[in-house]
Amino acid sequence: MSDTERPRVFLVDDHALIRAGIRSELSAFVEIIGEADEVTAAIEMIIERSPDVVLLDVHMPDGGGLAVINGVAKVDASVKFLALSVSDAAEDVIAIVRAGARGYVTKNIEGPELVEAIRRTAAGDAVFSRRLAGFVLDAFIAKEGQLASRPSFDLELDQLTPREIEVLRLIARGYTYKEIALQLDIANKTVESHVSSVLRKLQLSNRYQLTNWATERRLL
Amino acid sequence: MRHEPGRPERPFRRNDDGVVLGGVCSGLARRLGVEVATIRLIALLSVVVLGSGVAVYLALWLGVVRRGETESIFSRAMSVKREKEILFVVAIAAITFLIAFQTLGLHALGVFLWLMTLSALGVLVIWRDSSDAEREHLREGAADIVTRASSGSDKWQSVALRTGSGVVMALWGMSLLSRVGNETGAAAYVLVGAGALVIGLFVLFAPWWIRTFRDLSFERRARIRAQDRADMAAHVHDSVMQTLSLIQRSSHDAAEVTRLARLQERDLRAWLANPETFGASSSPPSTLSESALAIEREIEDNYGVGVDVVVVGDCNLNESITALLAAGREATLNAAKWSGTNNVSLYVEVETGQISMFIRDQGRGFDVDSVPDDRQGIRRSIKERMTRHGGSAVIRSSLETGTEVELHLPLHSRVQ
Repeated sequence: MSDTERPRVFLVDDHALIRAGIRSELSAFVEIIGEADEVTAAIEMIIERSPDVVLLDVHMPDGGGLAVINGVAKVDASVKFLALSVSDAAEDVIAIVRAGARGYVTKNIEGPELVEAIRRTAAGDAVFSRRLAGFVLDAFIAKEGQLASRPSFDLELDQLTPREIEVLRLIARGYTYKEIALQLDIANKTVESHVSSVLRKLQLSNRYQLTNWATERRLL
Repeated sequence: MRHEPGRPERPFRRNDDGVVLGGVCSGLARRLGVEVATIRLIALLSVVVLGSGVAVYLALWLGVVRRGETESIFSRAMSVKREKEILFVVAIAAITFLIAFQTLGLHALGVFLWLMTLSALGVLVIWRDSSDAEREHLREGAADIVTRASSGSDKWQSVALRTGSGVVMALWGMSLLSRVGNETGAAAYVLVGAGALVIGLFVLFAPWWIRTFRDLSFERRARIRAQDRADMAAHVHDSVMQTLSLIQRSSHDAAEVTRLARLQERDLRAWLANPETFGASSSPPSTLSESALAIEREIEDNYGVGVDVVVVGDCNLNESITALLAAGREATLNAAKWSGTNNVSLYVEVETGQISMFIRDQGRGFDVDSVPDDRQGIRRSIKERMTRHGGSAVIRSSLETGTEVELHLPLHSRVQ
């Protein structure tokens, strides 16, 4: 898909107001090919219309975004999901990304940023918000001077490369991909491949530990 | 697969559907090729003969494998050491009890009591060691009986049956009790009679008792739910409604509306995350992450600029870390006041050996070198404060891309 082409987007959210808001904000930049307000209908319509990107609400009755991702992935694993939610609690973010979402943005994201995130998702790249980057750094790096009660893990398998950590830090500091490329003197594409690699590690990492981390983090 | 009477089947298995208790009768009917009703009638009649039918039934329940399973309950119980031990201890206790009874002189009821005790042991083993599927089935059956006893009581048949059997039991118990004093071993009649009386009264009054108990727990649950609702309503009224009315009143002022919405959002999040401690946390922040969130609160409330805080790692505060936070607060404040954007990013990370803090905005930058020396804000509050505690501060700014303040504080000793 080229940059000039408008990505075909499917909208899943159980709040009509939010759907209308997103529609009006995006309609100039993307093609919205349908919307659904509940899990079962969403799964059917997504499989039927195979959109480039599904913009997915995390919290819905009957299993929410997770159920939609799982339902669609059984039939068509090529559909790309971008999770959209008011919640930025660690357990929600981690769970939806682990299930296979290409990224996670909060609902107060501004229009142009959302369009950019959709473009990136459509192109098969990962979309990391500042907070998601922060969660990953928090979960994967064991540090000195840490509160003893704070869980973290540093399994060999789950290790991030120094470059990946650098990229994540810059995202957490509020840099755009372009600014990161400039700062580290690497190509835009390289930044994207680092982020995708982190996403993959996140999705493959030990589910039990990650869930544990997310719930315990909430308790602190 | 339905069973046709008249054709014996092998092997002998207890049935797993359409059963009353353990599926022994229907299993036996299939094995012998006769009608289930016949077997059930024989079983019921045999119960009258000193309860021998009960013992035979339980023995078959324990010893015969359930359809679809590979092991009988008894062999399952025997294969676990702990179960064997429990069974052994209970059996010893029961035998002791029986011998004590015998010495009290209860000869007439001797065989009956032995059979009943053995049966009770059998029921215990069944309850402990039956397979999960069978136990689930039994539990459903028990729940069904309780529901029927407490709700179906308006049918005249069940009322008659219950009242009849309850009265007979109670009368029998009383007649046994009234014989006391004429013969040796009378104490035993007292025990049996008292037991029969209690059982009779229980059968008579159980439905009423169960219903009362259930109504009470319904009422308690309803009360708890109402309490939850009231708490929720009180919170919504105290915070959300007030904020909404404030927003309506200041609808002409976009910045104020944003500020109020942010404030309410943060408040609701805190309440959702932890409703119990909400409102009680007026104590000053004690960790790095709490302090960073306090900066977010302060700047958002006072300047109407969003502060987006991301904290990686956490540690307790000490004098230097407090200084770092003060410098960070000053930098955030500057960004909020001068950059002209409505969003400031604050990132704090506890690294190995140091804490780093980045405050970034994408608004109007300034020329760092041209800031006159007498401007106290940057020099005194940020740079000198950091150097005093062995740290450093770097400020990068350009007119196009905005400003980033970078603070580092080395951790000389492990902070716990």
